[in-house]
Amino acid sequence: MTADESELRELRSSVREFLAAKSPEEAVRKLMESEERYDPAVWAQAADQLRLPGLVIPEEYGGDGFGQVELGVVLEEMGRALLCAPFFATVVLAAQALLASGDKEACARHLPGIAAGRTTATLAVAEDDGSWDPALISARAVPDGDGGWRVSGRKSFVIDGTTADLLLVVARTVAGPSLFAVDRETTGLAATSMETLDATRAMARLTLDAVPATLVGADGAGGRVMAKVLDIISVGLAAEQAGGARRCLEMSAEHARTRQQFGRPVGSFQAVKHKCADMLVQVELAEAASREAALLADEGSDEFPVAAAVAHACCSKAYMVAAMENIQVHGGIGFTWEHPAHLYFRRAKSSQLLFGGPAVYHERLLDRLGI
Amino acid sequence: MGLLHEPHDLQDFAAEARRFLDAHAAKAPDRTAFTWGEGDDSMAYFSSLPPEEERAQVQRARAWQRIRYENGFGWITGPPEYGGRGLTPVHDLVYDAVESDYDVADTGVLSVIGLGMIGPTVLAHARPHIKDRWLPALYRGDAIACQLFSEPGAGSDLASVATRAVREGEDWVLNGQKVWTSVAQHSQIGVALTRTNPDAPKHRGITAFLVPMDAPGVDVRPLRQMTGGADFNEVFLTDVRIPDDHRLGEVDGGWSVALTTLMNERATVGSEGAGPVAAALSPDRLSALMRATWTWDDRALRARLAELLVDAMATEHLNTRALRTLRGGGTPGPEMSVSKLMYGQNLTRAAHFVSDVLGPRIIADTGRWGTYAWSELLLATPALRILGGTEEIMKNILAERVLGLPKEPVTAAAKEVRP
Repeated sequence: MTADESELRELRSSVREFLAAKSPEEAVRKLMESEERYDPAVWAQAADQLRLPGLVIPEEYGGDGFGQVELGVVLEEMGRALLCAPFFATVVLAAQALLASGDKEACARHLPGIAAGRTTATLAVAEDDGSWDPALISARAVPDGDGGWRVSGRKSFVIDGTTADLLLVVARTVAGPSLFAVDRETTGLAATSMETLDATRAMARLTLDAVPATLVGADGAGGRVMAKVLDIISVGLAAEQAGGARRCLEMSAEHARTRQQFGRPVGSFQAVKHKCADMLVQVELAEAASREAALLADEGSDEFPVAAAVAHACCSKAYMVAAMENIQVHGGIGFTWEHPAHLYFRRAKSSQLLFGGPAVYHERLLDRLGI
Repeated sequence: MGLLHEPHDLQDFAAEARRFLDAHAAKAPDRTAFTWGEGDDSMAYFSSLPPEEERAQVQRARAWQRIRYENGFGWITGPPEYGGRGLTPVHDLVYDAVESDYDVADTGVLSVIGLGMIGPTVLAHARPHIKDRWLPALYRGDAIACQLFSEPGAGSDLASVATRAVREGEDWVLNGQKVWTSVAQHSQIGVALTRTNPDAPKHRGITAFLVPMDAPGVDVRPLRQMTGGADFNEVFLTDVRIPDDHRLGEVDGGWSVALTTLMNERATVGSEGAGPVAAALSPDRLSALMRATWTWDDRALRARLAELLVDAMATEHLNTRALRTLRGGGTPGPEMSVSKLMYGQNLTRAAHFVSDVLGPRIIADTGRWGTYAWSELLLATPALRILGGTEEIMKNILAERVLGLPKEPVTAAAKEVRP
C-alpha cells in the first residue's frame, strides 16, 4: 500500500499528537531512568490505537503492508520525541531481518505477534567491537542433532536486549554467518543492561551458552541477509535522525527568536543567524536524503543501495551538527541536565556510531559506487 | 510517484517535445561517463574562449533558440499574445528534462539572464508597445538582454544604487556605472536600476528603465576576473537619453521591478546539471583521478571523497524532491535556496579535494591530461559562493524568511542613501 501526500500528512499529525500526549519530555526522562526503559501501556496503545507495530508488516502476516516511506514518517516523529519504546528494535531491526531472510515459516510464526504489538523483538549482530560486519562475528552455532541448533557466544549493543521477547541472533556455522531465532524464555541465555551514552535507547549484553535456537533462512545466508537488512535499517535510522535534527533546529530557532541579550534577540546577530541557517541546510539535506532513499526502497530501485548509504552518512552528520549547534545557540542553558538539548546530543552521537560509524559507512558508499 | 503519476497532458507534452527534438537534434552522449585521458579535459566554469569563438557560440545559441521558438518550445510559459505558449512552469521543467537527453547548443547566454529574468520583468512592467517590440525578439533569439543592477557601491545591497536618472522633458538622462554585468557585450537591451529620488528612503527612490545597449553614452568594458577570462563587464552610462516610455513600472517604484527580476533569478539558479559541474562531482572521474595519481587507497582522501559525494548526492535528492513538488502543482519550500548554497560549497570542496589529490600538479602544468585543467575550476570557485547573492546573504534569507529570526537592527548610517 502507498499513502499519498495528504495521507502522509495525516499519519504524521496523528503520530505527533500521540507522542505529544504519551511521550512528553517528562515521560522520556522518567523512562530513561527506569529498568525497562519503556512504558508497556504506551506501547499497547501505539499498537491498539495507531496500529504502529504493524505498519510495514505485510498484510499476509497481519500487518497493514505500508512501505518505508510511511515508516519514515513515523520514525521521524519518534526521533523528534525521543520516544522510549521497543519500536526501532522490533519493527525496524527484527521485522526487517525476518522479511529479508525470505523464511516464510519464520515470518508466519513471528510477524503476526509483532504486528499486533504482542511480541517485542530485536536483532543481535555486533559483539564487543561494535562492528556490524558479518565477517567479524565470532558467536557460533552447531546443530543439536534434532533439527535444531545451539548458539554460544556473546553479543553486545543489543537494543532492548533485556526486554525483547524474541532475539534474532547472527552466529557463525560451518557454512558461514547465519541468522537464528532465540526465545527470551530459554535456558542458557543471560542478558544484562549496558550503561549507555544515550539512555533513551536501552542496550544489553547477551551471553549465550549453548542456547537452543531455530535457523531463520538458509544456513550460511546471514551475510547476504545482513547486507540487505543494513540498508533498510540504516534508512530507518536516518529518518529518526532527520526527525531529531529537525527538532534541534526548531528549538534553536525558537530560542534565537525570543532570548534577549545586549538589548536585542540573539537571533538578530548574524553569527547566530548563520549558525541556524547552517543547521537548516543540514536538516533539509537530511530529510531529502532519508525520504528519497525510502522512496527508492519502496520502488525497488537499483539506486536504493547507494541512496541508503548516502542517507545514513548524511543524516548521521546532520543530526550531530544540529545537536551540537543547538547547545551552542542556547549557551550555558543548553549545557544543563534540565535542558533537553543533551538528550538529543546523546542520541545523535550514539546513532551516528550505531552501525559502525563514519569510516564504515563512507567505505560502504564508495564500495557501492565501485570506488 | 514519478512520471507515472503525472497528469496526461504533461505526458502528451513530453511526447511532443521528444518528437520535436528527434527531428531537430541528436541524442546526447552520457556526460558523466568518460575514459581517463580521452576527450576534452576542460574544467572551465567560466568561458575563456577567444572573442571570435565566443561570437560563434552566441550565434549557435541564437540559431537553436529560433528553432525552439518556431516550434513552440521557445517560451513555454509566455502569454500567446507575445509569442508564448501559455503553459505552466511545470511544462517548462518537463521540456528541460526531455531536452537534457539531446545534444543541443548551450543557450545559457540567452536564457540565464535574458529569458529567465529580464523577459518576465519586461512582461510584468513594460508598456504594451515595448513588450511587442522586445518580448518576441528575446524569445526568438534575436535579442539578448542583460541586468544593469549591481554597482561598485551596491552589490548585495542593491537598494543602494547610485546611478542617477534625471527627467528632461519626455526623456530621462542616466549617469553612473554598473558592474558584474554578464553578457552585456552581446546584449541589445538591459534593464537598469537608477536613483530618481535621493531624498526618499533608499528602496523608494529607485526607477527602472529598459536601456537599448546601442544608445549613445552606453560604454561596455570587459572586466577581467581572477580566472583570467572576462565574462563580466563594467557598463558606463554617460548622459544616456532614455524616452519615458522605456520606463518599467512607476517613477520611484523600481524596487518592485527589481524584485520581479530577483525572484526569477532565484528560480533559475540550481538548474545547472551538466558540464564541469557534473564532471567535478562525478564519482567515476574522481576515482579515476585517484587511480592515476596513486592516491587510490589513501584513507584520509577516501573519507573526504565520501563526504563530498554524500553532500553532492543529498543535494541532488533535494533538487529531485523540489522538482517533484513543482510537478505535483505545489510550491517547494526552502529547497532551492539550500540547493544554491550547497551547489557553491560542493564545487568548492571538490576543487580543493582534487587539489590535494593532484598536489604540485595543480600549481604548474606538466602537460598531463586531466590534471592542471582543474585549476580552471579551482579559480572559479570563489565566484560560485558570491554570484546571485553571497553565501552570507543567502544564509540571512534562510534564517529570516524560513526560520523567522529577527532582522539585524538597522543603524542610522544604513538608512542613508549614498550620494
